[in-house]
Amino acid sequence: MNLLEVRGIVTGYGEMEILHEVCLDLQVGEIIAIIGPNGAGKSTLMKAIFGLLKIQSGQIVLKGKEITHLSPDRLVHLGLSYVPQVENIFPSLTAEENLEMGAFILSEDLTARKEKIYQLFPPLRELRGRRVGKMSGGQRQMVAMGRALMLDPQVLILDEPSAGLAPKLVGGIFERISEINRTGVSIIMVEQNAKQSLKLAHRGYVLASGRNRFTGTGKELLDNPEVGRLYLGG
Amino acid sequence: MDRPNDPSKRTPRESMELDPSGGGSPETLVLVEGVQRAQRRFDRRVVALLKNPIVLTLALLGLIALLWWAAQTNWAAVQRLPALIVWGVMLGSIIALGSIGLSLAYGVLRFANFCHGDLMTVGAYAAFALLALLRQSTPLAPFSFGWGFLVALLLAMPITGLVAIGIDRVIYRPLRARHGSLVILEMASLGAAFFVRSLIYIVWGADFYFYYLGRERPAMQLPLGIRVQAYQFFILGLTLVLIVCVYLLLEKTKMGKAMRATADNLELSKVSGINTEQVVSWTWMISGALAGAAGVLLGLSAQLRPAMGWELLLPMFAAVILGSIGNPYGALVGGLIIGIVEQTSTAFINPAYASGVAFFIMIVVLLVRPQGIFGKAGG
Repeated sequence: MNLLEVRGIVTGYGEMEILHEVCLDLQVGEIIAIIGPNGAGKSTLMKAIFGLLKIQSGQIVLKGKEITHLSPDRLVHLGLSYVPQVENIFPSLTAEENLEMGAFILSEDLTARKEKIYQLFPPLRELRGRRVGKMSGGQRQMVAMGRALMLDPQVLILDEPSAGLAPKLVGGIFERISEINRTGVSIIMVEQNAKQSLKLAHRGYVLASGRNRFTGTGKELLDNPEVGRLYLGG
Repeated sequence: MDRPNDPSKRTPRESMELDPSGGGSPETLVLVEGVQRAQRRFDRRVVALLKNPIVLTLALLGLIALLWWAAQTNWAAVQRLPALIVWGVMLGSIIALGSIGLSLAYGVLRFANFCHGDLMTVGAYAAFALLALLRQSTPLAPFSFGWGFLVALLLAMPITGLVAIGIDRVIYRPLRARHGSLVILEMASLGAAFFVRSLIYIVWGADFYFYYLGRERPAMQLPLGIRVQAYQFFILGLTLVLIVCVYLLLEKTKMGKAMRATADNLELSKVSGINTEQVVSWTWMISGALAGAAGVLLGLSAQLRPAMGWELLLPMFAAVILGSIGNPYGALVGGLIIGIVEQTSTAFINPAYASGVAFFIMIVVLLVRPQGIFGKAGG
């Protein structure tokens, strides 16, 4: 069954149309990777799914229920979670407070949920009292993903999780993503790091100029000579 | 080190060609150019030095010391200084309470609420109206006021908060929903300021009022010939209590953390599921309640006038900018500095210029260190 389905959405910023009838679907337990050149509309697609842009036409459906025009805080209640590419942390809050903000809608005690995050990202346990604005890029990315996982989402949307990280940290982040997926979270991931993300993902979508260009399993896309030539750097 | 542009190494002919006016003897031009260069280097160094937060604070304290020194020739003014500093701390506390609310609202809503001063006036008059309703209470020694005043003060705070929320619902929220520009919001808050003040003129008129008429205000003698009145301690004490409350609220409660999160990153707050409109309402409640308390204290220290809060808006902005806009703790420090500097300046210059002093400090901070004492460079 399709967990999340995007049916031909058209959206953009103000008068400027960025996405032209883009479609995708996400099955339960899957990781899908969205790749494509700069300006293809990958981040725009993520923002559109998460209710941050006005959708001109098309539909977004979660478990058979239309969520097209819902606000981000409604989507959080429905089990969606989103890590933006930039400004994905609260810099003047501590790591622990960032996690707490991820579960703002709950009024229960958060100790157990925070404990789960510290198990996934052990360095955060030591850093929990530190202001995130003073942390390194890799630590910030852990905080950002930890915040998004506090509500045990069904769908996690990651916009460029490896952007701005030192190359040796990129592999670690991909391992964490795989680990999160094994706990039952379905993941939509936008990545510049196309080859690595296609290896990790079950399926991939190639966007170009705001349209679907190719789709297939990660392996199919990696083996497709045209995709390789155009988007994977040969 | 070899500097190709060193003027001393240039031939006179080159120097003359560099000068567009082409006049004067070559030697003079070399000299003038060298002096100008040194002057620019010196200027840059001074500006760089003043950008250091510690140096800036010391410079401001130095300004007070300078005024003190200047008064050596004026012994009468020097004798007034300790008393003026006490007054300055009191005025500074009131400015600080107002500034903290102004800074909190700026942090969350990203606009400077020009109506904030008039919210103080609302608080002052709300307490005045409540005091008239409450039974006369006997003064609590050593203060000149009784329980009735404390009750009026505690009720005036949430009332002012509700007025602030009401203004937000009627004016600011519709503009936010339509993504109104910053200029529109600023103009709207200016309009709200005039509107609120006009209402106070309509209800209470332009006359002065006092919370307590004709009651003596006992003074206590402190060393250095300082005479302090009990209510001045009350103002300082209440300010400290409220600041501790704000600290606990912001650092320890869920809503306080959400307020800081929203101030940090509005979009991420929404994405995290934080009900940002609820956060906005709480921000107005706290900002308004602090303004209300500041207004009541201002009324207690002097008298009630419809323009009382409006006239404090400039020093409050100076305090907020000095303490880094959006930082409530900076606003506290900024408020105290502005209060003390304003009051001590009256020993040497005409008291009518006191708000000019606040304006002067604001301009200097904006020119030299626009991010304020606690701000990060470029942030």
